[in-house]
Amino acid sequence: MVTGMQRLSAAFDGAAVDRIPVFCNLLDQGAGELNLRLEEYYSHGERVAEAQIRMREKYGHDNVWCLFYVGKEAEFLGCRKILFAENGPPNVEDWVINSLEDIPRLEIPEDVSAHPAFEETLKCLSILRREIGGKYPICAYITASMALPALLMGMERWMDLLFLGPAGAREELLSRCHEFFVKELTAYREAGADVLIYSNPFGSTDIVPMGFFQECSLPWIEKDIRAAGPAGVVYYGGTARINPVMATVFERTGIKGYYMGPFDRVREGKEILAGRALACATINDIALIDWSPEEIRMQVRKIIQAGLPGGKFLFGTCVMPLDIPEPNIRAMLEAAFEFGSLEGGNPS
Amino acid sequence: MNLPPLLSLFSEALFDTDRDRALQLVRDAIHQGAAAEELIFEVVIPALEKCVTDLEECEELNLAQHFLTSQIAADVTEELLPRFRVAPETVGRVVIGSPHGDLHTLGKRIVVGCLRPRMIECADLGVNVSAERFVEEAENRRASVIAISAMMVHTARSEKGCLKVRDILRERGLEDRIKVIIGGAPFRFDDQLHQRVGADGWAPDGIQAVKAISRLIREARPW
Repeated sequence: MVTGMQRLSAAFDGAAVDRIPVFCNLLDQGAGELNLRLEEYYSHGERVAEAQIRMREKYGHDNVWCLFYVGKEAEFLGCRKILFAENGPPNVEDWVINSLEDIPRLEIPEDVSAHPAFEETLKCLSILRREIGGKYPICAYITASMALPALLMGMERWMDLLFLGPAGAREELLSRCHEFFVKELTAYREAGADVLIYSNPFGSTDIVPMGFFQECSLPWIEKDIRAAGPAGVVYYGGTARINPVMATVFERTGIKGYYMGPFDRVREGKEILAGRALACATINDIALIDWSPEEIRMQVRKIIQAGLPGGKFLFGTCVMPLDIPEPNIRAMLEAAFEFGSLEGGNPS
Repeated sequence: MNLPPLLSLFSEALFDTDRDRALQLVRDAIHQGAAAEELIFEVVIPALEKCVTDLEECEELNLAQHFLTSQIAADVTEELLPRFRVAPETVGRVVIGSPHGDLHTLGKRIVVGCLRPRMIECADLGVNVSAERFVEEAENRRASVIAISAMMVHTARSEKGCLKVRDILRERGLEDRIKVIIGGAPFRFDDQLHQRVGADGWAPDGIQAVKAISRLIREARPW
């Protein structure tokens, strides 16, 4: 039987196995699997690991996650309160940076692996490695230096500082976030994460102008990846489009995987990468909530037909909202398995 | 004063998101005798709309541009308003906020910045605002529009958010007086979603929000 890891490796290499890799990013759904409230669920790494394994077996997709929720990174850096919802992802409620004076006080943990906020994630990773390591890729989510301040001070204040604030404070904050980024990515890699999703909305021209991307975002992306190394890293714009920047990022960093946004044109993305890296196309998973199974099947077919020629292709979701009905998840995956089949030949 | 050349220069400053240049142009114009009223209505508002149209055409429109153009428009307006010969007439009133469970602030700030030069009075209720408070504040302030900025799927679709605002307005017989507009990332991914949550309209960005809000103000029965 072909494993998810074999499918992913084959896709990176441009080889053919039974089908393309299919990533289905189910996070909060794990609480429902274990009949727990989200806050109870996320308080124990064992629970997250168990639900991730269960959900992968139930649906048959190719990946699992050691990500709890995105705000977890703020907890490493001093956030004391997370707002848990009944039906959606937790939010940072306590900002670590409330004024420019807080920036020099921001403490970067010496050893991320030893930080209490990482303890449950480490437990989760250790179970995932023991149970399915080497068979199914374990994904980790690491926020880029330029995006991390939004989790520490809120997007509005970060935009103020980034575009209108004093350069000294901005550079100091970015430097500290970079220091944390490198330590965090290294910690995940050492703990056994296989796929390191490098999340950077500020690395998308949906968020910043191209001029700003080239002058400001790109140098920090290069710095991040040079320091941490590109092995296992997948570039992600946080659901924003990345086609306009993929060629530059590839040439300047050597990152080998690109997780496009739902509004990126898949065929265009494949042409830009030209077989040099893995193209991961995503479905609009917010629309998955209300689409009919027939509509879902049609959308999946469209995406895969655009991306499959030439190989080096993965079909995936962004972060699946809790409201997506289970039959719709199944409809999407069944269509992805069917249209992503490579039986009978090499994709190239 | 000859405004078309100023409009062109001010538009360029907005396009380049150069706040200092935009403010300087307005200050120079005032110094040369331009009236604050004509600067707002014949320079700032047309430039704001032109900037967004130009950016859309060259596919350069992005969140940072929206944020910065709305911020510059708000700053310039703030500087010009005290110079009005007669206090400007309010076109309409809006209450805006992020709904229950939502702590995001950027979207509503962009909208508030774009509304400012239009002389639409806007009360920012903050984040994590209950449906009851949205309606109470709108009623107390005699607002024609409740604007809800929901950045997450579960807050956009929540029964404690826009759906509940609609229920309360219906129960209190206020639907003709108070219209509801909604915006935020989930609505960009599903352009039918605003109908599912009972809004009268939605907008993908600040400039479109101003247009939609202006329309809703006209549609609402006056207080």
